[in-house]
Amino acid sequence: MNIPEDLRYLPSHEWARVGDARVTVGITDYAQDALGDIVYVELPEVGRTVAAGEAFCEVESTKSVSDIYAPVAGEVVAVNTDLGDAPQKINDSPYGEGWLCVIQATDPGSVSELLDAAAYRKLLEEE
Amino acid sequence: MLVPCDFHDDLDTPLDASDQMGADLALLDAVEGGGPMQLRLYRWQRPALSLGRFQPEDQVDLDACRTLDVDVVRRPTGGQALLHGSDLTYAIALARPGGREGSVDAVYGSIARGLIAGLARVGVSAEVARHRGPAGPACFSSERGSDLRARGRKLVGSAQVRRGGAVLQHGSVLLDRLAFDESDLLVFETREARTHAHRRLRGATITLAELGSETRPEALGDALAAGFAEALDLDLDFRSRSFVAGAQGRQ
Repeated sequence: MNIPEDLRYLPSHEWARVGDARVTVGITDYAQDALGDIVYVELPEVGRTVAAGEAFCEVESTKSVSDIYAPVAGEVVAVNTDLGDAPQKINDSPYGEGWLCVIQATDPGSVSELLDAAAYRKLLEEE
Repeated sequence: MLVPCDFHDDLDTPLDASDQMGADLALLDAVEGGGPMQLRLYRWQRPALSLGRFQPEDQVDLDACRTLDVDVVRRPTGGQALLHGSDLTYAIALARPGGREGSVDAVYGSIARGLIAGLARVGVSAEVARHRGPAGPACFSSERGSDLRARGRKLVGSAQVRRGGAVLQHGSVLLDRLAFDESDLLVFETREARTHAHRRLRGATITLAELGSETRPEALGDALAAGFAEALDLDLDFRSRSFVAGAQGRQ
Protein backbone atom coordinates (compact mmCIF):
# COMPACT_ATOMS: atom_id res chain seq x y z
CA MET A 1 0.00 0.00 0.00
CA ASN A 2 1.45 3.33 -1.08
CA ILE A 3 1.73 5.81 1.82
CA PRO A 4 3.89 8.79 0.79
CA GLU A 5 6.12 10.07 3.59
CA ASP A 6 5.58 13.74 2.79
CA LEU A 7 1.79 13.74 3.33
CA ARG A 8 -0.46 13.95 6.37
CA TYR A 9 -3.46 11.71 6.93
CA LEU A 10 -6.87 11.41 8.56
CA PRO A 11 -8.01 8.13 10.19
CA SER A 12 -10.90 8.25 7.70
CA HIS A 13 -8.31 7.81 4.90
CA GLU A 14 -7.97 11.28 3.41
CA TRP A 15 -4.52 12.74 2.72
CA ALA A 16 -3.34 16.34 2.94
CA ARG A 17 -0.40 17.89 1.13
CA VAL A 18 0.71 21.16 2.69
CA GLY A 19 2.07 24.08 0.72
CA ASP A 20 2.09 27.21 2.88
CA ALA A 21 -1.53 27.68 3.92
CA ARG A 22 -2.90 25.83 0.89
CA VAL A 23 -3.70 22.21 1.63
CA THR A 24 -4.35 19.82 -1.24
CA VAL A 25 -6.72 16.99 -0.32
CA GLY A 26 -7.38 13.54 -1.72
CA ILE A 27 -8.16 10.01 -0.61
CA THR A 28 -5.46 7.46 0.09
CA ASP A 29 -4.40 4.47 -1.95
CA TYR A 30 -5.96 2.28 0.76
CA ALA A 31 -9.27 4.14 0.46
CA GLN A 32 -9.49 3.94 -3.32
CA ASP A 33 -8.70 0.24 -3.16
CA ALA A 34 -11.40 -0.36 -0.54
CA LEU A 35 -13.99 1.63 -2.49
CA GLY A 36 -13.38 -0.02 -5.85
CA ASP A 37 -13.93 1.63 -9.22
CA ILE A 38 -14.99 5.22 -8.65
CA VAL A 39 -17.68 6.36 -11.07
CA TYR A 40 -18.70 9.79 -9.76
CA VAL A 41 -17.37 12.53 -7.50
CA GLU A 42 -19.47 15.28 -5.96
CA LEU A 43 -16.91 18.01 -5.32
CA PRO A 44 -17.48 20.95 -2.96
CA GLU A 45 -18.09 24.38 -4.45
CA VAL A 46 -15.16 26.75 -4.64
CA GLY A 47 -15.63 29.35 -1.92
CA ARG A 48 -17.28 26.96 0.52
CA THR A 49 -16.08 27.24 4.09
CA VAL A 50 -15.47 23.89 5.75
CA ALA A 51 -14.74 22.79 9.30
CA ALA A 52 -12.07 20.23 10.11
CA GLY A 53 -13.66 16.79 10.02
CA GLU A 54 -16.72 18.01 8.10
CA ALA A 55 -18.11 15.78 5.36
CA PHE A 56 -17.61 18.03 2.34
CA CYS A 57 -17.36 15.75 -0.66
CA GLU A 58 -18.85 12.43 -1.80
CA VAL A 59 -17.64 9.69 -4.10
CA GLU A 60 -19.63 6.88 -5.68
CA SER A 61 -18.12 3.51 -6.47
CA THR A 62 -19.90 0.29 -7.41
CA LYS A 63 -23.24 1.61 -6.16
CA SER A 64 -21.73 2.77 -2.86
CA VAL A 65 -21.70 6.43 -1.83
CA SER A 66 -19.03 7.51 0.67
CA ASP A 67 -18.46 10.75 2.51
CA ILE A 68 -15.05 12.43 2.33
CA TYR A 69 -13.95 14.54 5.30
CA ALA A 70 -12.03 17.80 5.37
CA PRO A 71 -8.63 17.41 7.06
CA VAL A 72 -8.43 21.11 7.99
CA ALA A 73 -10.76 24.06 8.43
CA GLY A 74 -10.72 26.75 5.79
CA GLU A 75 -12.07 27.78 2.42
CA VAL A 76 -12.17 25.59 -0.66
CA VAL A 77 -10.16 27.55 -3.24
CA ALA A 78 -9.80 24.99 -6.04
CA VAL A 79 -11.38 21.69 -7.09
CA ASN A 80 -10.16 19.08 -9.55
CA THR A 81 -12.71 19.55 -12.33
CA ASP A 82 -10.94 16.90 -14.46
CA LEU A 83 -12.60 14.31 -12.21
CA GLY A 84 -15.97 15.20 -13.74
CA ASP A 85 -15.10 13.34 -16.92
CA ALA A 86 -12.51 11.01 -15.43
CA PRO A 87 -13.33 10.03 -11.83
CA GLN A 88 -11.22 6.90 -12.31
CA LYS A 89 -8.16 9.11 -11.92
CA ILE A 90 -8.72 8.69 -8.19
CA ASN A 91 -8.14 4.96 -8.62
CA ASP A 92 -5.28 5.37 -11.05
CA SER A 93 -3.40 8.13 -9.26
CA PRO A 94 -4.80 8.83 -5.78
CA TYR A 95 -1.89 11.09 -4.77
CA GLY A 96 -1.45 12.74 -8.16
CA GLU A 97 -4.07 13.42 -10.82
CA GLY A 98 -6.76 12.09 -8.50
CA TRP A 99 -6.52 14.98 -6.04
CA LEU A 100 -9.91 16.37 -5.00
CA CYS A 101 -9.55 19.97 -3.92
CA VAL A 102 -7.40 22.64 -2.29
CA ILE A 103 -8.35 24.23 1.03
CA GLN A 104 -6.95 27.57 2.14
CA ALA A 105 -6.41 26.63 5.78
CA THR A 106 -7.66 29.00 8.48
CA ASP A 107 -4.93 27.72 10.78
CA PRO A 108 -2.06 26.19 8.78
CA GLY A 109 -0.54 24.90 12.00
CA SER A 110 -3.52 22.56 12.47
CA VAL A 111 -2.03 20.27 9.82
CA SER A 112 0.50 19.10 12.38
CA GLU A 113 -2.39 17.51 14.31
CA LEU A 114 -2.99 15.09 11.44
CA LEU A 115 -1.36 11.65 11.30
CA ASP A 116 2.08 11.40 9.73
CA ALA A 117 2.88 8.52 7.37
CA ALA A 118 4.20 6.27 10.14
CA ALA A 119 1.12 6.78 12.30
CA TYR A 120 -1.21 6.20 9.35
CA ARG A 121 0.66 3.03 8.41
CA LYS A 122 0.31 1.82 11.99
CA LEU A 123 -3.41 2.57 11.91
CA LEU A 124 -3.81 0.48 8.78
CA GLU A 125 -1.89 -2.39 10.33
CA GLU A 126 -4.18 -2.30 13.36
CA GLU A 127 -7.42 -2.18 11.36
CA MET B 1 -20.02 -15.24 19.54
CA LEU B 2 -23.30 -13.88 18.20
CA VAL B 3 -23.53 -10.30 16.98
CA PRO B 4 -26.44 -8.31 18.50
CA CYS B 5 -28.78 -6.96 15.81
CA ASP B 6 -32.01 -5.00 16.16
CA PHE B 7 -34.65 -6.41 13.82
CA HIS B 8 -37.37 -4.10 12.46
CA ASP B 9 -40.30 -5.80 10.76
CA ASP B 10 -41.87 -3.06 8.65
CA LEU B 11 -43.60 -5.34 6.15
CA ASP B 12 -46.99 -3.96 7.16
CA THR B 13 -45.94 -0.49 8.25
CA PRO B 14 -47.58 2.18 6.10
CA LEU B 15 -44.76 4.53 5.08
CA ASP B 16 -44.58 6.66 1.99
CA ALA B 17 -41.51 6.52 -0.22
CA SER B 18 -39.59 9.36 1.42
CA ASP B 19 -40.37 7.97 4.89
CA GLN B 20 -38.95 4.63 3.78
CA MET B 21 -35.66 6.32 2.96
CA GLY B 22 -35.84 8.27 6.22
CA ALA B 23 -36.32 5.03 8.12
CA ASP B 24 -33.31 3.46 6.41
CA LEU B 25 -31.19 6.48 7.28
CA ALA B 26 -32.39 6.15 10.88
CA LEU B 27 -30.72 2.73 10.89
CA LEU B 28 -27.46 4.34 9.78
CA ASP B 29 -27.85 7.02 12.45
CA ALA B 30 -28.39 4.35 15.09
CA VAL B 31 -25.17 2.55 14.18
CA GLU B 32 -23.21 5.76 13.78
CA GLY B 33 -24.38 6.70 17.26
CA GLY B 34 -22.86 3.54 18.68
CA GLY B 35 -25.92 1.29 18.49
CA PRO B 36 -25.93 -2.37 17.43
CA MET B 37 -26.28 -3.66 13.91
CA GLN B 38 -29.71 -3.00 12.38
CA LEU B 39 -31.83 -5.12 10.03
CA ARG B 40 -35.08 -3.87 8.54
CA LEU B 41 -37.46 -5.57 6.12
CA TYR B 42 -40.22 -3.64 4.40
CA ARG B 43 -42.55 -3.34 1.44
CA TRP B 44 -43.71 -0.28 -0.45
CA GLN B 45 -47.31 0.81 -0.04
CA ARG B 46 -47.45 2.24 -3.57
CA PRO B 47 -45.22 1.81 -6.59
CA ALA B 48 -42.18 4.06 -6.28
CA LEU B 49 -39.17 4.71 -8.44
CA SER B 50 -36.05 5.25 -6.35
CA LEU B 51 -33.13 7.09 -7.92
CA GLY B 52 -29.49 6.69 -7.00
CA ARG B 53 -27.91 9.44 -4.90
CA PHE B 54 -26.36 11.18 -7.91
CA GLN B 55 -28.56 9.92 -10.74
CA PRO B 56 -29.69 12.85 -12.91
CA GLU B 57 -33.39 13.55 -12.40
CA ASP B 58 -33.80 14.33 -16.09
CA GLN B 59 -33.50 10.60 -16.76
CA VAL B 60 -36.98 10.22 -15.24
CA ASP B 61 -40.14 10.59 -17.29
CA LEU B 62 -42.12 12.49 -14.67
CA ASP B 63 -45.27 12.59 -16.81
CA ALA B 64 -45.21 8.82 -17.08
CA CYS B 65 -44.69 8.53 -13.32
CA ARG B 66 -47.70 10.78 -12.70
CA THR B 67 -49.85 8.88 -15.20
CA LEU B 68 -48.96 5.53 -13.65
CA ASP B 69 -49.26 6.95 -10.12
CA VAL B 70 -45.64 6.17 -9.24
CA ASP B 71 -43.84 8.11 -6.52
CA VAL B 72 -40.29 9.23 -7.22
CA VAL B 73 -37.79 9.26 -4.38
CA ARG B 74 -34.05 9.83 -4.03
CA ARG B 75 -32.04 7.12 -2.28
CA PRO B 76 -29.07 7.99 -0.08
CA THR B 77 -27.21 5.13 -1.75
CA GLY B 78 -25.54 4.86 -5.12
CA GLY B 79 -26.65 3.04 -8.24
CA GLN B 80 -29.45 3.57 -10.69
CA ALA B 81 -33.26 3.76 -10.83
CA LEU B 82 -35.19 0.94 -9.24
CA LEU B 83 -38.95 0.37 -9.35
CA HIS B 84 -40.46 -0.78 -6.07
CA GLY B 85 -43.90 -2.17 -5.48
CA SER B 86 -43.62 -5.88 -6.16
CA ASP B 87 -40.42 -6.39 -4.20
CA LEU B 88 -39.37 -7.00 -0.63
CA THR B 89 -36.72 -4.56 0.49
CA TYR B 90 -34.06 -5.19 3.11
CA ALA B 91 -31.88 -2.62 4.81
CA ILE B 92 -28.87 -3.41 6.97
CA ALA B 93 -26.72 -0.94 8.87
CA LEU B 94 -23.50 -2.04 10.50
CA ALA B 95 -20.28 -0.62 11.84
CA ARG B 96 -17.74 -0.66 9.01
CA PRO B 97 -15.44 -3.61 9.66
CA GLY B 98 -11.73 -2.82 9.87
CA GLY B 99 -9.20 -3.73 7.24
CA ARG B 100 -10.12 -5.50 4.02
CA GLU B 101 -13.37 -6.76 5.55
CA GLY B 102 -14.57 -3.17 5.44
CA SER B 103 -14.15 -2.66 1.70
CA VAL B 104 -17.22 -2.04 -0.42
CA ASP B 105 -16.94 -5.45 -2.08
CA ALA B 106 -16.30 -7.27 1.19
CA VAL B 107 -19.41 -5.79 2.81
CA TYR B 108 -21.48 -6.61 -0.28
CA GLY B 109 -20.08 -10.14 -0.08
CA SER B 110 -20.86 -10.54 3.60
CA ILE B 111 -24.47 -9.38 3.22
CA ALA B 112 -24.83 -11.52 0.10
CA ARG B 113 -24.10 -14.58 2.23
CA GLY B 114 -27.12 -13.70 4.37
CA LEU B 115 -29.35 -13.17 1.36
CA ILE B 116 -28.20 -16.41 -0.25
CA ALA B 117 -28.87 -18.33 2.98
CA GLY B 118 -32.31 -16.74 3.25
CA LEU B 119 -33.24 -17.46 -0.34
CA ALA B 120 -32.06 -21.05 0.06
CA ARG B 121 -34.72 -21.42 2.76
CA VAL B 122 -37.37 -20.78 0.11
CA GLY B 123 -35.74 -23.14 -2.35
CA VAL B 124 -33.88 -20.57 -4.45
CA SER B 125 -30.27 -21.11 -5.40
CA ALA B 126 -28.77 -17.64 -5.82
CA GLU B 127 -25.21 -16.59 -6.48
CA VAL B 128 -23.21 -13.39 -6.48
CA ALA B 129 -23.07 -11.71 -9.90
CA ARG B 130 -19.83 -9.80 -10.21
CA HIS B 131 -20.09 -9.01 -13.89
CA ARG B 132 -19.56 -5.42 -14.80
CA GLY B 133 -22.28 -4.70 -17.25
CA PRO B 134 -22.90 -1.24 -18.63
CA ALA B 135 -24.38 1.12 -16.06
CA GLY B 136 -27.69 1.87 -17.73
CA PRO B 137 -30.24 4.14 -16.03
CA ALA B 138 -32.21 1.20 -14.59
CA CYS B 139 -30.65 -0.73 -11.73
CA PHE B 140 -31.95 -4.14 -12.73
CA SER B 141 -30.72 -3.85 -16.31
CA SER B 142 -27.11 -3.46 -15.20
CA GLU B 143 -24.98 -5.74 -13.12
CA ARG B 144 -22.40 -3.99 -11.07
CA GLY B 145 -21.03 -4.59 -7.64
CA SER B 146 -22.28 -7.73 -5.99
CA ASP B 147 -25.85 -8.27 -7.05
CA LEU B 148 -27.48 -11.69 -6.81
CA ARG B 149 -28.56 -13.82 -9.69
CA ALA B 150 -30.69 -16.94 -9.98
CA ARG B 151 -30.68 -19.03 -13.16
CA GLY B 152 -28.29 -16.46 -14.58
CA ARG B 153 -30.68 -13.53 -14.16
CA LYS B 154 -30.70 -10.76 -11.62
CA LEU B 155 -32.96 -11.36 -8.61
CA VAL B 156 -31.56 -8.94 -5.99
CA GLY B 157 -30.12 -5.46 -6.56
CA SER B 158 -28.35 -3.65 -3.72
CA ALA B 159 -26.60 -0.35 -3.00
CA GLN B 160 -24.63 1.20 -0.14
CA VAL B 161 -23.89 4.46 1.59
CA ARG B 162 -20.96 4.92 3.98
CA ARG B 163 -20.88 7.62 6.57
CA GLY B 164 -18.20 7.90 9.20
CA GLY B 165 -17.61 4.39 10.53
CA ALA B 166 -21.02 3.05 9.51
CA VAL B 167 -22.41 1.41 6.39
CA LEU B 168 -26.02 1.21 5.23
CA GLN B 169 -26.85 -1.27 2.50
CA HIS B 170 -30.33 -1.78 1.17
CA GLY B 171 -31.65 -3.79 -1.71
CA SER B 172 -34.67 -5.30 -3.40
CA VAL B 173 -35.66 -8.91 -3.83
CA LEU B 174 -38.01 -9.23 -6.81
CA LEU B 175 -41.19 -11.03 -5.79
CA ASP B 176 -43.19 -10.51 -8.94
CA ARG B 177 -43.63 -7.96 -11.72
CA LEU B 178 -45.89 -4.96 -11.91
CA ALA B 179 -47.82 -4.18 -15.09
CA PHE B 180 -45.01 -1.75 -16.02
CA ASP B 181 -41.31 -1.49 -15.34
CA GLU B 182 -38.46 1.03 -15.22
CA SER B 183 -38.40 1.28 -19.01
CA ASP B 184 -41.89 2.86 -18.85
CA LEU B 185 -40.73 5.47 -16.34
CA LEU B 186 -37.39 6.65 -17.71
CA VAL B 187 -36.64 8.95 -20.61
CA PHE B 188 -35.59 7.42 -23.93
CA GLU B 189 -34.84 9.22 -27.16
CA THR B 190 -36.92 6.91 -29.30
CA ARG B 191 -39.71 4.41 -28.91
CA GLU B 192 -37.32 1.74 -30.20
CA ALA B 193 -34.85 2.54 -27.45
CA ARG B 194 -37.61 2.19 -24.85
CA THR B 195 -38.71 -1.13 -26.33
CA HIS B 196 -35.11 -2.34 -26.36
CA ALA B 197 -34.67 -1.32 -22.71
CA HIS B 198 -37.89 -3.12 -21.78
CA ARG B 199 -36.77 -6.33 -23.48
CA ARG B 200 -33.33 -6.08 -21.94
CA LEU B 201 -34.76 -5.55 -18.48
CA ARG B 202 -37.17 -8.42 -18.90
CA GLY B 203 -34.45 -10.76 -20.12
CA ALA B 204 -31.91 -9.77 -17.51
CA THR B 205 -34.13 -10.21 -14.47
CA ILE B 206 -36.08 -12.94 -12.76
CA THR B 207 -38.64 -12.92 -9.96
CA LEU B 208 -39.43 -15.35 -7.15
CA ALA B 209 -42.81 -15.92 -8.81
CA GLU B 210 -41.08 -16.96 -12.03
CA LEU B 211 -38.83 -19.24 -10.01
CA GLY B 212 -41.92 -20.87 -8.51
CA SER B 213 -40.76 -19.84 -5.07
CA GLU B 214 -42.26 -18.15 -2.05
CA THR B 215 -43.83 -14.77 -2.82
CA ARG B 216 -45.71 -14.13 0.41
CA PRO B 217 -43.83 -11.24 2.03
CA GLU B 218 -44.18 -12.52 5.59
CA ALA B 219 -42.85 -15.97 4.71
CA LEU B 220 -39.98 -14.56 2.66
CA GLY B 221 -39.24 -12.05 5.42
CA ASP B 222 -38.98 -14.89 7.95
CA ALA B 223 -36.64 -16.77 5.61
CA LEU B 224 -34.41 -13.75 5.01
CA ALA B 225 -34.22 -12.88 8.71
CA ALA B 226 -33.26 -16.48 9.48
CA GLY B 227 -30.75 -16.48 6.62
CA PHE B 228 -29.05 -13.33 7.85
CA ALA B 229 -28.96 -14.68 11.40
CA GLU B 230 -27.47 -17.95 10.21
CA ALA B 231 -24.87 -16.58 7.79
CA LEU B 232 -23.78 -13.55 9.80
CA ASP B 233 -24.07 -15.12 13.29
CA LEU B 234 -26.67 -12.58 14.39
CA ASP B 235 -28.62 -12.50 17.61
CA LEU B 236 -31.76 -10.83 16.27
CA ASP B 237 -33.71 -8.70 18.73
CA PHE B 238 -37.27 -9.08 17.51
CA ARG B 239 -38.55 -6.63 20.13
CA SER B 240 -37.09 -3.69 18.21
CA ARG B 241 -39.60 -1.00 17.35
CA SER B 242 -40.62 -0.19 13.85
CA PHE B 243 -38.84 2.90 12.60
CA VAL B 244 -42.12 4.47 11.53
CA ALA B 245 -42.12 6.99 14.38
CA GLY B 246 -38.48 7.87 13.83
CA ALA B 247 -38.96 8.30 10.11
CA GLN B 248 -41.96 10.55 10.50
CA GLY B 249 -40.10 12.54 13.09
CA ARG B 250 -37.46 13.38 10.51
CA GLN B 251 -39.90 15.18 8.25
